[in-house]
Amino acid sequence: MFVLAEKIMKQVERFIPMRHTDIRELFKFEKTPLNILVAFTTFVFLILFVIGATNYFIYGHHAYGVTREHPWGLMIAMYIFFVVSSTGLCIMSAIGHVFEVKVLEPFAKRAIHGALVTLLSGFVVIFLEIGHPFRMMIYNTISPGLTSAIWGMGVLYSLYLIFIVIEFFFLLRHDHKWAKRFGIFGLVVGVAAHSNLGAVFGFLVARPVANGIYYPLYFILSAMVTGCYLIFLMYGFKYKLEFPTEMQKTLVATAKILGLLLAILLFFEIWRMLTAIYGGMEDRAVTALHILKSAPFLVGEILLGIVIPFLVILLSNGKAIKTMVFASLGGMVGIFFMRYDLVHDTQLYPMQTLKLTEYQLPPSFIEYTPSMNEIFIALGAVGIAITLYYIGDKILYLETDPD
Amino acid sequence: MARYGMALDYKNCINCKACEVACKEENGVQLGADKHRIWVGVKDVEGLWPNISIASSTFEPSQCQQCENAPCQEVCPTQATHYAKGGIVMVDADKCILCSYCMEACPYDARYVKEDTMTVDKCTFCSDTRLLRGETTTACQATCPTKVRTFGDLDDPNSEISQLLSHRQHFTLKTHLGTKPKLFYMI
Repeated sequence: MFVLAEKIMKQVERFIPMRHTDIRELFKFEKTPLNILVAFTTFVFLILFVIGATNYFIYGHHAYGVTREHPWGLMIAMYIFFVVSSTGLCIMSAIGHVFEVKVLEPFAKRAIHGALVTLLSGFVVIFLEIGHPFRMMIYNTISPGLTSAIWGMGVLYSLYLIFIVIEFFFLLRHDHKWAKRFGIFGLVVGVAAHSNLGAVFGFLVARPVANGIYYPLYFILSAMVTGCYLIFLMYGFKYKLEFPTEMQKTLVATAKILGLLLAILLFFEIWRMLTAIYGGMEDRAVTALHILKSAPFLVGEILLGIVIPFLVILLSNGKAIKTMVFASLGGMVGIFFMRYDLVHDTQLYPMQTLKLTEYQLPPSFIEYTPSMNEIFIALGAVGIAITLYYIGDKILYLETDPD
Repeated sequence: MARYGMALDYKNCINCKACEVACKEENGVQLGADKHRIWVGVKDVEGLWPNISIASSTFEPSQCQQCENAPCQEVCPTQATHYAKGGIVMVDADKCILCSYCMEACPYDARYVKEDTMTVDKCTFCSDTRLLRGETTTACQATCPTKVRTFGDLDDPNSEISQLLSHRQHFTLKTHLGTKPKLFYMI
């Protein structure tokens, strides 16, 4: 198998420059405690993924904690988590290499690599959520539901994948002219796909807490925030916090952009909550108040996801880039809760408010707890993302060339 | 072209659940609390003793509202959910990919996952069972001991349902959402 893989890599090397074509190189890394910890955790995550996926193939949706009243769970949240990361990295990359903001150009290639990796991880998760993924490919094509946001999302994300693969190909070949052209296509289609994903929730007339313009816009904004966090994490890990001068400038600029984005995101959140609660419209206001009092929202979304990174940037004028790496780690935890809450909170208010059997209370907020299999697959998908990122980092030249 | 609907004289409902059983039997709906095409909602008695409102204790038999502007049909990515003959909202099991978007979009919680085909299922007004055999009533209507349900063609002015709706006040559920339900609750 190794020999075959090496033959393939040798063929690929004819088109794109590679650092290594020897598969054995992939298993060699500097044995620092951090590297060993990451490698071990990733390995455990991959094993968990295999367990979770196997149980899904045996038991179907019974392996998940989803119910009639709460049909979407952790899988959908993780899918959103990954594709948001992908769009965010694509946008951040485009600022540098498409719009030629020089200071942000150094991470263009690495960000597009990250965008590809996270998108593929997202596709793995959604493959294990959709009941009939192959049927989806067939009937999405021959019987398209043009009014469906999921149909639009499927088409746009497929196009987005094609465009960023081509963009990445030209970036690796240092063909900036074509990389830029496909970068523009990738950016436009990526933003369209991603706002469409927001519309999957925004179009739900039955769910007042999600219905409206908020999510399509918020998705783009929070995607950019996610992209910035991931850039800090990728470079923090790569340089082990000892950033070269050039990279320091880039990361300070990234931090300043992130500060602005976080301020806008906080502004979005405040007005979302105020408009949802104001007027006391039964299902929307009650749900919003419930969300407002929940720990995942307050600690996860607001504190970890927005406030802490924002304060780090604000108090250091964007210069505390080492602290920002740790704040970004917390930020990604916050971003996860943003995705999880988005899915869960949308389904909080029951559609059926009368009790259906005697000796039960009338339905109140719908409860949902992810099953172990869902958690395994979710962690496993993180493992897949780290593995794919590591492989790309090992065999490809991901630094933007000085010219 | 017929346009099927149902009128419910819901205050006559005695919550015997014969309709739920008949529906399961006729349409092969699996057993299990969350596997149901139709259901009877129970409104609790309001007030504290001795000021208990007897009138507040009612039952609300319900099912898919067969909306004319159905959110589930709008969100289906493969047109598995479609308007069939008579305006009945149906699911084509061959096209359903089980993305569950329709379950998410339905304001009435009228959909569930059918285990044998692993697709989403819902009330069909018995169009693929009783109506197909040439009968003119649904299973829930035929079995109801207090004649709560009246099924029929809304476009035929002489049909029993049209006559009922023309001289009885009625309302629909979650009307404000603009789904235009074809289940009418008679006051």
